[in-house]
Parts: sequence; structure tokens; C-alpha cells
Amino acid sequence: MSQVETGKTLLEAKALSRHFIVKGDGGFFSKRKSIAAVEGADVALRAGKILAVVGESGSGKSVLARLLSRIVSPTSGELVLNGETVDLKTQRDLAYASQVQLVLQDPFAAMNPVRRVGHSLERPLSIHGVPEDEISARAHEILESVSLTPPQQFLDRYPHELSGGQLQRINIARALAVKPKVLLADEPISMLDVSVRLGILNLLRSLCDDKNLAIMYITHDIASARYIADEVVVMYAGQIVERSNDTSLINSPQHPYTQLLIASVPDPTNLGAEVVKAPSGGAAAFNLNGCRFSPRCSQALAMCATNEPPMVEVAPGQHAKCWLHASDAQRASVTISNKSKNEMESKNV
Amino acid sequence: MTDKTILEVQNFDVDYGYGDAAVRAVSDVSFTLGASKVLGVAGESGSGKSPLVYGLTRLLREPGVIVGGEVKFHLDGEGEFDILSASEEEIRKIRWSHISIVLQSALSALNPLRRIGREFDEVLRVHDANLSKEQRRERSEELLALVGLRPDRLRRFPHELSGGQRQRIMIAMALALRPELVIMDEPTTALDVVTQREIVSELAELRRQLGFAMIFITHDLSLLVELADDIMVMYAGQIVERAPAKELHDAPRHPYTLGLMNSFPPLHGERTELEGIPGSPPDLKALPTGCPFSPRCAFAMDKCRQERPPLVLEAGTEHSVACWLHDSSYQGAVPVELSKRLAKNSGGAQ
Amino acid sequence: MKHLQLPKSLKVRIGLAGLGMFILLTIIGPWIAPYDPNYTGFAQNASPSWNHLLGTTIQGQDVLSQLLIGCRSTMVVSFIAGFLATIISIVIGVASGYVGGKADEGLSVLSNVFLAIPGLPLLIVLNSYLPAGQQTNPLVIGSVIALTGWAWGARVLRAQTLSLRDRDFVEAARIIGEKRVRIMFGEIGPNLLPILTSSLLFTILYAVGVYTTLAFLGLTNVSTWNWGTMLYWAQSNNAGLAGEWWWVGPPGIMIALIGTSLALINFGIDEFINPRLRAGGVSAKLRRASGAPRRPRLGLTPVLHKSTEAGSR
Repeated sequence: MSQVETGKTLLEAKALSRHFIVKGDGGFFSKRKSIAAVEGADVALRAGKILAVVGESGSGKSVLARLLSRIVSPTSGELVLNGETVDLKTQRDLAYASQVQLVLQDPFAAMNPVRRVGHSLERPLSIHGVPEDEISARAHEILESVSLTPPQQFLDRYPHELSGGQLQRINIARALAVKPKVLLADEPISMLDVSVRLGILNLLRSLCDDKNLAIMYITHDIASARYIADEVVVMYAGQIVERSNDTSLINSPQHPYTQLLIASVPDPTNLGAEVVKAPSGGAAAFNLNGCRFSPRCSQALAMCATNEPPMVEVAPGQHAKCWLHASDAQRASVTISNKSKNEMESKNV
Repeated sequence: MTDKTILEVQNFDVDYGYGDAAVRAVSDVSFTLGASKVLGVAGESGSGKSPLVYGLTRLLREPGVIVGGEVKFHLDGEGEFDILSASEEEIRKIRWSHISIVLQSALSALNPLRRIGREFDEVLRVHDANLSKEQRRERSEELLALVGLRPDRLRRFPHELSGGQRQRIMIAMALALRPELVIMDEPTTALDVVTQREIVSELAELRRQLGFAMIFITHDLSLLVELADDIMVMYAGQIVERAPAKELHDAPRHPYTLGLMNSFPPLHGERTELEGIPGSPPDLKALPTGCPFSPRCAFAMDKCRQERPPLVLEAGTEHSVACWLHDSSYQGAVPVELSKRLAKNSGGAQ
Repeated sequence: MKHLQLPKSLKVRIGLAGLGMFILLTIIGPWIAPYDPNYTGFAQNASPSWNHLLGTTIQGQDVLSQLLIGCRSTMVVSFIAGFLATIISIVIGVASGYVGGKADEGLSVLSNVFLAIPGLPLLIVLNSYLPAGQQTNPLVIGSVIALTGWAWGARVLRAQTLSLRDRDFVEAARIIGEKRVRIMFGEIGPNLLPILTSSLLFTILYAVGVYTTLAFLGLTNVSTWNWGTMLYWAQSNNAGLAGEWWWVGPPGIMIALIGTSLALINFGIDEFINPRLRAGGVSAKLRRASGAPRRPRLGLTPVLHKSTEAGSR
């Protein structure tokens, strides 16, 4: 199989959005609201590189993974696979599945509990056209590539007979069975014991390097993102709020949310540091008009509540979606348009 | 706060199952807890941290059974309380008023069909029949204010609140009767990092105000280093190391503790490849002879595979380890990584 | 299934033994029946004796022979009805649960209609439309009974499928590219086995009851022998009033026995099918032996000291 050159963009999302219609919380007769689970996401997955998507629950990171794997269809935006725009009106087909795969968070839930591991591993091989007589050999090969030996021992077992770490390796193996170019991993280690997490991260890193895969690693744990990622993206309330071409945003975060995130991580080497306090959030505190983080932001400006900030370059290769870093010209244009909007509104009164 | 001991545990054993089918979940655990101190209990699957703490309070579910040891509480106004031989009535008296517990998932602990106010009302009513309804409501509002929530939260249902708010309510309920000991079972594991930070700092503030002792169970060792006075590391049902938090972090003695700390990738500093700990968490049904950690230990010797090391307190310190490398019988040199008084920023998790 | 083991529970073993006996009788019944059930030459109304273990009817027929031959007919029809009904309920229940949308709505309406229609009257009506020749055909009668008995199982399977559909392993199957039908029957299906088997067992029981009732009412061909027909003849000859317990009793007892066997098997089905539960739960025997209370109370974990006797107060 010919290797793709390192760094080539394999899967790209352009302004990807996914809205859900939900009932408002005023009871039975309340109006339906549209909630943007993901909005305007631009990500590029490159061969041989790991992109980390960092965010908390509700940030939209898992929905983004499902959008990229086409398990969920977007309400707007574009997907480009291998340079060709994907036709989003048709159903996801086998060809796409053989290129883009997804590994889920809970290793036990992701395997059919009443079938043996061998079955779950052989199905993808069979679906994607591996000849009947080669299936067993290929299954053994894949298990060896995720360091599970002797392979037959694992194939014969039921999921509940194995540990979380072993099962997650099998899940990764299953995703790799179809030889995809892109691997999306949705919080692959959060449900595992601490001592086995690094093993899985090291495995992902070596698979990425050996097979020149493009990997998207989704997590809420920014320290693990720093450990394996080449590029980092931070999400909040469905939007990407900061990104960098390397891990520099972790050392020098520019967006107030990223700063809050990093300051909140327990850091044993820095005991007694000033505790950052942000007003208690909760899902209801998103501001949908301006910057979504503004209700919790200690550095918010007046315009943050009413105008959505642009993505601004804050350092070479690092961008943040924040008015604090916008140029004077950008801010000025907004102030002007705000003023004229206010004038128009007062005239209509 | 005095130097009083409020909990003494001796040779505590807990099994899952009975007779020949029994599996030892907690094995020969002994420790003490001082008043107003925070004890962190760290461990992974099969470590025994949950059966230990639930067993101590007789809250362990079927098929858990306590099969040995002594557990004595020293509570205000109650003197010495031997929970293993106490009657149900006696236990009920001290439960919640002296010892309370915060569970991992508030969503499953709170009745989804009841408003929060009703839950508080219930707790207060059961324990003090003298309070009037008005007084109970006032007290509930006080408790909510204690954890930084507005009084109107009393009218909400659990699903209408965020995870962080629910957990704060659990904490408020646990503190309702001003207990001396609060047990927390992974209270922040299901929460995001920012909320976790808020709750942890609120807990510190509450402890300053109310002076209760805490047993905090978690797998997140880095959180304990900040939060706890002492940390107890458990593996396969046994205590493998116990030390003051900072000391444990700076100079771990047990290979498992070292491995565990090295499993947390650092947020700052050099990016190097880390190992974690090879192998899988122990299978309690089939523990190896000798030290249960020996199959995964980089420093294991023959003795480790034959005999289980006892937990030994190092003279003149508050540091105990269960490891043959630190036993007086060991003649060789202790590996650099596990030596005393390491200079900061070398080895370990930096 | 590679590792088939006999279930540990005593209840299930008894149930399986009972079922096994009935299946045996179904096969060899006609051979071991001592006499021709139609032969009317014996002493009439004789109570049980060595020659006639279950006595004779008012027309001088041997009851035991009727019982043994009747077993085959009853069992065959009931099993056919049970299996057919279960197949219909799988197809409709799983499809509507997994596919959802309009198809689900339509199939649900269909199930609800069949559920609401009273079974027996419908059966009577359907039966009366059967051409006379077909009325003795077990396949035909079985199908007719199946038509009235599938709806409950379909609803149960639909509910179960709905809950399984959202599980991670189903999503994982979709992600690797598995087709819908294969997911329904290859992934979700095996997880439905416990409830399916339960449904099958009870549908068979339902069929036994319904078929016997139809026969008892004289609506099936009264010249084929089954337990219901026996009761029909007994009833029309006032056997109960005359105290001929050997004629009235046995068919009823047989029905009760087959019902009990099926119910007992149902207890252990979960354990047998779900590999995770095969390891076995807490053995009550071991618990008793160790001295712990029979039902440990929540909030009062038993304390058993090896040196002392029984547990907590």
C-alpha cells in the first residue's frame, strides 16, 4: 500500500455546523429552539499528524467527530476527503467507511457483549471485501499490530473477560482493520484505568507514525493532548475558540477560556498557585448573540456580549476567537455598526 | 483543631462472595485518621478503595462481607464507637449526623421525581423531629448558600441542574448535620476540569469554616496532591504506600506509586515519552503469590514473588511503604527513582 | 455455541426434564399406547386398574391411550403455533424498533390492532372459515393460532430493540459499514435471545391453552385425539358430575405439567444465553453456610469474623 506523504491534508471540514431543534424550557407549549451543537468548524486532518480537540462535555467535540465520520449529517458546511468534496446529500457509503474510521469512548459498550471478539473483528474484514480464507490471518495480524499476543487467545474471548485497556486496543484494531487513512478517536482513554492510558496513547502515536494516518484525538484532558498531539484546537459551546499548529497554545494560551482551562488542571508542581475563579457556568449560560464565553469571562469587553468575535492570529501559527486580540480597526468597525444599529432601532420606536 | 484521632482501622478484611467462592477485596488494611484531616485514597480498578471505604461505614452492598478487623470511630459526644458490632439503631444514629457520604454520581443519588427542597427537608426531618417546617426551609437555604447556590434551587428537579450544581447539592446535604467526617467517592470524576477546580476550592473553604475530616477517594493522584494532607495508595486490596501528600509526590517509595505518578503526562516542561505501567490491573480472583504488584514491577526481585511485603512505617517519619526494597532485610542499593529525599525536578513526574 | 453447559439451577433442570418427557411422549406416544383410542369394546366407565391404568370412558375407550396419542397432536400444533408466532413477532418487532419512522408507526398500529382483538373469538371465526379437510392439518391450525398470538411478543421485542439501538456497539457496527439487516439480526438479534426465548415459551403455553379450548368447545374436528377433545367428550357425558376423575383429571394435569415445565425453564434462560451471567451469581448455599443473613440489609453490611459464629445483629 503506497504511503501518503506526511503532512498532506486528508480530510478537511469547512464551516461545518450541526443544529438540533429542541423544545424550549417553558413547558409543553414553549417554542422550539435551534441549538447549535457545532458551529462553523474548520479542521484539517493531515497524514502522520495528530490533531487534538480539547473541550468539556457540551463543547461539541463528540458531535464534530461524528460529523467527520458522517454518522451524523451536518446542517451546513463542507467536507473534503482526499481533495474531493464529499456529496453530503447521499448516505455514507462503504467507500467512505473504508477511509474514515471512529473509535468510541467506552470500550465495553462498543463491543457486542454476546458475541466473541473474533466475530466483532472479522466483520469489518468481511464487509470490506477481504477473501474468506484470508480473514483469520488478517485478524491475527491486526491484533499483533496493537500488541495483543497471542492473538487467538483474544479472538476466542467474550468482551467481559478482558480488561478495559485490552478491549480498547481491540476497538482500535477493529477500526484499523479496514485500513483507513483517517482515524477519529473520541475520548479513547477517559474510561480506562490511569496506568494503562499511556499505553494506548503511545499506541496511537506509533500507529500514526508507522502508517502515516491522520488522527483526530478528542479529549477533555489537556495534558494528554499535549502528550501526543502535533496540533491543538480548543472548543467551547460548539465553536473553535483557539487553535495552534503545534502545542504552543498550552504554554501560552491567549483565549480567556483556554487560560481558565489550563489554570484549572491540577498541577502538583505548582501548589499554592492563585486559584482562578470564574462565575459558575452551566449549560444555560451560553450567550448566543455575541461571544459565547462572555458571561464567564473576567476580561470581557462591552462588545463581547453583542458581537461574535473574529478568529484572530495571536502568534505565528496560533489563532484565538477573541475581541481582546482583535485589531483596533476590527473593533472600530463593529462599534460603528453597533451604533448605527442602535440608531435605527431607536428611530423605529 | 486538636490532634484527636477520629478513626482507627485495624487489620480490616473485606470479601466479595462467601466460602470458597469468596474473593478478597480488601486485605489487612490498617490506618488512622486525625480530626479535620484530609486522607486521600488513590487506586485503580481492583485496588479496594471503594470496598474499604464503604465497608468501614457498613454501606457495602451484596455480595460484600466484612470478614475481619476492627473499625472504631471516636466521635464527639459518642465516645468510642465500634461500628462492626453496633446495632442497626446505633448505626442509624451516627449516620449522617457524624459520618456522611457524597457519592460519585449525584444524578443517581437524587430522586429524579423530587424537588431538591424536598430532599433536604427529608434529611433534616428524619434527624431532628423538633424543627418546624419553616426552620427546615431556612436551614436548607443556609446549606445551599454554604455551597454557593441560590435559594431558588430548592424548587428545581435534579435534571434541571448542571452536573456541578448537583454535586454541590450532594455536598450541602452531606454537611446538613455538621458531621465530623465526610467521605467523598470520586465526587469530581464526572465533572469537567473547571467545575472540578471550583468544587475543590469550595471544599477547602468549607473545611476551614466547619472543620470536618475528609476521606477522598479518587484515581486522580495529581488532584490528591493538592487536596489531601495524607495520601494512601492502594493496589489489589492492600495499602502499598502512605505518606503526607507533598512527600508522596516528591519522593515516592513504592514502584506502583512511582508508575502511577508517571502516568500523568505533565502540562509543562519537556515532552518526553512516558511508559505508564505495563500489564493490566490485577485480577482479584487470581492474585500472584507474594507482592501483588510484582508481575508489573520493573524492580521485582525473587523475594517479591514469594512473600508479600508488610506495610512498614519508616522510623522518624510519617511515611509507610509495603515493599521489600525498603525493608531492613534488603542489602542492596535502593533504586535512584525510589530513594529518599530526591532533589526536586529529577525523576518522577516532572 | 461451542461451550454448552447444563444450567446449574435445579428449577431449570426440572423444567428441562419435564419438557424432555413431553417431547419424548410426542414422539413415541402412539407406539406405547396400549390400545387403539377409538376402540369402544372395553368395559364402560371402569376406574383405573392394571389393564387400564387410567380407566375407561363411558363409551368403553381406554383413557391412557387417548392421552398418549393426544399428546402428539397437542404438542405439535402448539409448537408450530409458538414458533410461527415468534417468527412473525421477531420480523415485525425488530424491524419496527430498528427502522423507526413511518414503518414503525405502521407496524405498531398493526400490532396494537391484533393485540386488542380478543383472541379466542377471532380464532373461532377463522376456524369456521377453514375448509373441512384442512381442519385437521396441524400446520394450518398452528398458523391460525399464531395469527392471534404474535402481537404481544412483537411489542416486547420492539421495546427491547429500541433500547439496544442506541448502544455503542450498534453505532460501532454502523461505523465499520455493516448493513442494516445484518445489524438487526446479527448484532441486536443475539442480545434479544433471552427475551425471545421467554416469549417463545409463553407463546407455546398460550397455544396449548387456546388449542385445548377450541377442542373443548367442539370447534375442531372431534375425531382427532387431543387433550381438549378428551375434555369435550368428558364434559358432554357429564363425567365430572359422575365422579369419573380418571377421565376428566389427566388432560388437565398434563396441561398443568407442560405449563410448569416451560415456566421453570424460563427461570434459567437468562443465565444460559448470556455468557456474562454464566459465571454464576452469589450461591445461596454458600451464604447460608458462612452464617451471613439470608437477605443482607442495605446499610448493614454483614460482619463475619472467622473466629466467631454468625454475623450481624
